[in-house]
Amino acid sequence: MTIKPGSSLSRRGFLAGACCAAAAPVLTPFSVAAAPGESRFVTIILRGGMDGLDLVQPYGDAAFAGLRPTLGLTPGTGLVDLDGFFGLNPAASALMPLWQENALSFVHAVATPYRDGRRHFDGQTMLENGGTDASQKSGWLNRTLAVIPRTDGRKALDIHTSMELILSGPNKADNRAGTGDVEMAQDEIGFLDRLYAADAPFAAAMEEVKRTGFSAGGYRQKRNRSVVDMARLAGGMLREDYRIASFSINGWDTHVEQASQFGSVAGELAAAIVALKDALGADAWARTVVLAVTEFGRSVRENGTGGTDHGTGGVAVLAGGAVSGGKVMGTWPGLAEDRLLDGQDLMPTGDVREIAAAMLHKQFGIAPDKLTSRVFPGLSFDRSSIYLQG
Amino acid sequence: MAISRPTLAAIRYGYGLRPGEEPPRDAEALLAQLDQAAKRKPRFPREGAGGRRETASRVMSLRAAEAKAAKDGKPNESIRKETQKEALQIYRQDAMARLAQAILSPFGFHERLASFWTDHFSTSALKSLPMRMVVPLYEAEAIRPNLAGSFANLLKAAMLHPAMLIYLDQSDGAGMDAPAGRPGGRAVNESLGRELLELHTLGAGSGYTQEDVRAAALILTGLSVDRRALEVVYRPRISEGGSISLLGEVYEDDEAGSQDHLRMLEDLAMNPMTAEHVCRKLVIHFVADEPPADVVAAMTAAWAETEGDLKAVYRAMLDHPRAWSDPGQKIKRPFEFVVSGFRAVDISDKDLSRLLDEMDDDDQEDDGPMRKALKMASSTAARADAKQRAARANDLTLAALQRMDQPIWQPPSPAGYADLASVWLSPGQLSERIAWARLMAGRFGQRRDPGTFLDAALGDAAGQNTRDVIAQAPNTNHAIAMVLASPEFNRR
Repeated sequence: MTIKPGSSLSRRGFLAGACCAAAAPVLTPFSVAAAPGESRFVTIILRGGMDGLDLVQPYGDAAFAGLRPTLGLTPGTGLVDLDGFFGLNPAASALMPLWQENALSFVHAVATPYRDGRRHFDGQTMLENGGTDASQKSGWLNRTLAVIPRTDGRKALDIHTSMELILSGPNKADNRAGTGDVEMAQDEIGFLDRLYAADAPFAAAMEEVKRTGFSAGGYRQKRNRSVVDMARLAGGMLREDYRIASFSINGWDTHVEQASQFGSVAGELAAAIVALKDALGADAWARTVVLAVTEFGRSVRENGTGGTDHGTGGVAVLAGGAVSGGKVMGTWPGLAEDRLLDGQDLMPTGDVREIAAAMLHKQFGIAPDKLTSRVFPGLSFDRSSIYLQG
Repeated sequence: MAISRPTLAAIRYGYGLRPGEEPPRDAEALLAQLDQAAKRKPRFPREGAGGRRETASRVMSLRAAEAKAAKDGKPNESIRKETQKEALQIYRQDAMARLAQAILSPFGFHERLASFWTDHFSTSALKSLPMRMVVPLYEAEAIRPNLAGSFANLLKAAMLHPAMLIYLDQSDGAGMDAPAGRPGGRAVNESLGRELLELHTLGAGSGYTQEDVRAAALILTGLSVDRRALEVVYRPRISEGGSISLLGEVYEDDEAGSQDHLRMLEDLAMNPMTAEHVCRKLVIHFVADEPPADVVAAMTAAWAETEGDLKAVYRAMLDHPRAWSDPGQKIKRPFEFVVSGFRAVDISDKDLSRLLDEMDDDDQEDDGPMRKALKMASSTAARADAKQRAARANDLTLAALQRMDQPIWQPPSPAGYADLASVWLSPGQLSERIAWARLMAGRFGQRRDPGTFLDAALGDAAGQNTRDVIAQAPNTNHAIAMVLASPEFNRR
């Protein structure tokens, strides 16, 4: 099976597929949230290319251990088993209570329509503009605001020092900086090392900066603290009259020493989701969907420096009381050599835009044709989407 | 890879590239800026020179009256506080205008020279409360109009400005053997004479003696500041009389004019030691920490030939091949770094005003439009927001310069700010610059294409490694921050 760029697997095919992961879906028809105007939707953008194969590890796939000799885990070596085939990276184990409450799902082997380039900027642009190329200048979450039937469901907030693309566009959205400056992620520090590598005096100064720690006034806060603060801020605003929020977690570009880098940033993601839940309170949480997505997944094989390189298929995270959770969704393409995209990447079998469309339909009652014409032009999506099942 | 001449002209002799601004093509284009810029008034002091004198005079009279009342047992704390606050706010407005002037002016060479000479003839806004208002006036009326004429005129304008006399404690004639003109009486304050010889003209180690310092100080006696009018005045009754010799010249007070100090300044301006000292300093500032001797020699020759015509001196530097070779040896000073960063993101006049407004909104008693709105909302969240916005605007501008050790108009000593890579390339400095670059990227870098931004900021000065790293950065924000934090952007 080959998938052309931009195409998505038939959703009906999902049910018939040889998927070993998803629990048999319960085919209860979906109904719009009981109290319109109370539903909430949060996006978390994972910048840098989150390695879905590290977060949700297919330890049941025969090829996995060979492809990931040092990064791959099993329940015997600490992996938190999810369903007998997939397991959760232990760094994110703070999410397990949500899994047990059916408030957490993962969708595996998904991607945006971005293919081949494997460049962060273009990948993130398409993740945020919701298009099939980088030309669209507004964000899909911003375009969503115009088609939400109830005006009181349109109050949206981006938490960042300036408005991120996903909420930029013609429709009103608010922007608020987090409570502190986010400390640099490990991958960002690694890039600074490379930036200064060709200039000896700068390289020497950078070494010393790293040795003594960034003491500059701009870094007021520990990184994990500020990620949690962003989530708390979002939760607090959503508990009031905001209904849509978005923020980003950087640090996923794990080319080297992934085991430690990924662990710390995966821990932050888990902590952010838990903080969001706490800040929302039980009632609001029950009506919330959180969608965490990245610009692309990473190469299925480990590289020579204990990391992974830019890839294609990856994982989307769904959390919240409004999620029918407790399962790993998606069509598992397999990791055998002939199942990989270009012989190196996890084959995408689903479009992250469809997940987003399904959640927006579910939360706000937006008609599918509006979603496929105005929010995600060209997307194939209707009420029979697998992401609306069960 | 050789850097093209326009790129080098903008980075080495100006405040860097700015989108939409044609970089100077060559030496002639740089020199032409000096004529063009001479016709423009700087953005500070905000009320203009005359207006500033009125403001300062009013504030100082209020404080003088309060001080007098306090002596009589009737202090007025609120007058003290309010005038303090007003002076601080005026300083902040002017400092932001100073920043805007450097960022938005298309005459980068003129702007760099304005900074160079303001620094050469250092005064500090930290000296006293009135100085917060007087130092901007000093740069606007003593330095800027005179930086492309003769050095003698610039020297006289700087030395005979109230800011210099206040800064070096000559303002009240204090420190002089005032009442009876008895040199053997109280000690003469030598600081003005000392800095004149050591910093402003001959230069340290040029061979003058302690007697010369004392002689210069004596010749300068009688100069004082009329604090009401904010003008330098000459008070013969406190001047040292008699004839004083300095470096082989004899200076004598004549009863009528007492212009001996002017003659001394003119003589010092023509002294070859002065030419050597100042030309070296110019080359250290613009070209290299270790100034190439042949460039300095070409400049001192022009100095001698033209009796210190500064434009001819600049031309001698710019016409030298070394002025256009070996790029990147200097580390930008913090002010240059910050200004060039704002130019790279092409900040508008409006956005700069907004930063100042955001800072002002933090003043609790200040009733700006934003503050009024906040009062009505009376929401603590909104207030906290405004506070945070104010802190951020400050972190991007004045506080950033403070943390990087080059606050506007506050040099650490009369010698001005350091100008060597050993000072400005340190771990602490790099840490601050990275932090600032990240703040800038967060506020102004959103949705920029990193490759386009790199070209706009550095043109062909960007090396291959930097290009590669920027192209592969894990997110746009970090890419934009790395352009500003890159070695090429911090060198010139």
